[in-house]
Amino acid sequence: MDKLRTLLIDDNKGFVVLAKHLLASVAEVDVIGCGYDGFDAVRMAEELRPDLIIIDLAMPGMGGLQATRLIKAQDSPPRVIIASHYDDASHREHAAGAGADGFVNKQEFEHRIPELVRGFVPGVTHA
Amino acid sequence: MPESRVLVVDNDDSRAQAIAACLQFIDYSPVTVDSVQSIKLGEHKPQDWLAVMVGGVADWNELGGFVSWLKRDRYHPPVLMLPPNHEKAVGALELDRSACLPVDYPVKYAQLNELLRRAGLVRMDQQAATVRVAGPSGNSVAVRRVKRLIEQVASHDTTVLVTGESGTGKEVVARAVHEHSHRRDKPFVAVNCGAIPADLLESELFGHEKGAFTGAITTRRGRFEMADGGTLFLDEIGDMSLPMQVKILRALQERTYERVGSNRSQRCDVRIIAATHRNLEQAIVKGTFREDLFYRLNVFPIEMPPLRERLDDLPLLIDDLIVSLEKNGHGTVALAPASVETLRTYHWPGNVRELSNLVERLAVLHPRAVVQPGDLPSRYRGGVQATAVVELAPIANETPVPGLDSVMPARKTVGESVLPPDGVNLKDHIENIELALIKQALAQSNGVVAHAAKLLNTRRTTLVEKLRKYGLTRELASDPEATSTEA
Repeated sequence: MDKLRTLLIDDNKGFVVLAKHLLASVAEVDVIGCGYDGFDAVRMAEELRPDLIIIDLAMPGMGGLQATRLIKAQDSPPRVIIASHYDDASHREHAAGAGADGFVNKQEFEHRIPELVRGFVPGVTHA
Repeated sequence: MPESRVLVVDNDDSRAQAIAACLQFIDYSPVTVDSVQSIKLGEHKPQDWLAVMVGGVADWNELGGFVSWLKRDRYHPPVLMLPPNHEKAVGALELDRSACLPVDYPVKYAQLNELLRRAGLVRMDQQAATVRVAGPSGNSVAVRRVKRLIEQVASHDTTVLVTGESGTGKEVVARAVHEHSHRRDKPFVAVNCGAIPADLLESELFGHEKGAFTGAITTRRGRFEMADGGTLFLDEIGDMSLPMQVKILRALQERTYERVGSNRSQRCDVRIIAATHRNLEQAIVKGTFREDLFYRLNVFPIEMPPLRERLDDLPLLIDDLIVSLEKNGHGTVALAPASVETLRTYHWPGNVRELSNLVERLAVLHPRAVVQPGDLPSRYRGGVQATAVVELAPIANETPVPGLDSVMPARKTVGESVLPPDGVNLKDHIENIELALIKQALAQSNGVVAHAAKLLNTRRTTLVEKLRKYGLTRELASDPEATSTEA
């Protein structure tokens, strides 16, 4: 099975370590890099051409929403899941408006992310 | 909440550290200073922080200077004052109460969390507005038709159904209908039905009473109530679940609704504009959309055309997007005419939203530069070889290159440009083409800049800029004789 080459982007380094650990048990995912703000995300998306980026919504300088808009304008853009400390209708709408393919509440990351990620595996139908 | 940094100004170090720990706990990045004097203002902009928390103040004059600097940005972050300084700060710093809020100490997580959540939403709304253009922009036949429909329907309270592919600008149409209606001074409230989980959508639309469900710790207004007297835009209504469709149908038919957890009906005075990228008639056949709701919504349909069917609008759209970025302090960029021509050969599956993302990306990656075709991501360069303008300023020393025709789908009717064996300065070449076209347009329109701008399908102000760039004065431009001599 082809794994989804995945980038993790979050200014909270503790969360990056935790997310990487949690994703280690998701067979469909191969974490190929980590970054700490939206600028890292745009640069690494261009350089590494990942299949998937899981990106924090709020980061210094450039947050996940702007980074998503910029990444979606690159060649063969990856899927983007926005992770947020807040989970309400407005945050989800902003994520969708930026062109994100998914949204995950950070507090439910462990339980929600495997299902979300599996929706992006080639051959699996997703919206 | 695109920014995670929160500035903490407090001369009480232990309190500052305690606040920083709280902020980290709720996923923010605290930046602590004991006085605003230690902040190098030249290295920052007010938007660098989501909020500024102020505790102990040793020098109010210094703080006043810092707040004056913040206020130069009309979208500056809110100032959160720790006790006991709130009242003093409102007066001394001349801040509006909505921008200077009290916060308790010891910190209450729920209060701080909510204040910062709201600050984040305000910031996100502002930033979303920077990439939204008023419109619909363009002069193509398709857009002129949409504008005519908007004018026809705006003054009536008719329900409107906007259809079109994703990213075509359906919300732009909805906002235009609202702005041209008698409800323009009342709220325009948008809700993306496809982005909100089905179990949250009802309370989001209709509101809820305290205790209606786990987590409903306060009574909350829904979007119908927020839009009272104005317009409610139900985006992606085709993604709405069938049970929710029943509730929307009832609200539309009876003009009443109940908050979740309440038996009391509330009247609603809202104009509904719905939108979807789905084919609702097919959805009805499949059983995923209610026929009665469709007919209730489809009173006045407006179809937004895909961008590939209105490529004539591309220059104007690009101009509008750049102006919007500039106006909101998000940088600027210019696209060389050859780049715009290149973009015309792309099929734009993501429509105007994709164009907006591209312009924003170019403004970030090439700030204040003139973007050449080679700077565009390669997917936009697929049809770069064929352009309509190349015959007007052919490169000298044209030599046919064997086999080139097979890879260049050049349009024979408009001429070809062939790369000389020793190459070409592309930028100069393109500028020569642009200059030649501008001169011809001016000659053809007897030097009237506005008419020439129309011929070039660009804005008059853009053309004036180009005249300045090429050293053609406006006097020259408006002098037919001089212009034709130049040409």
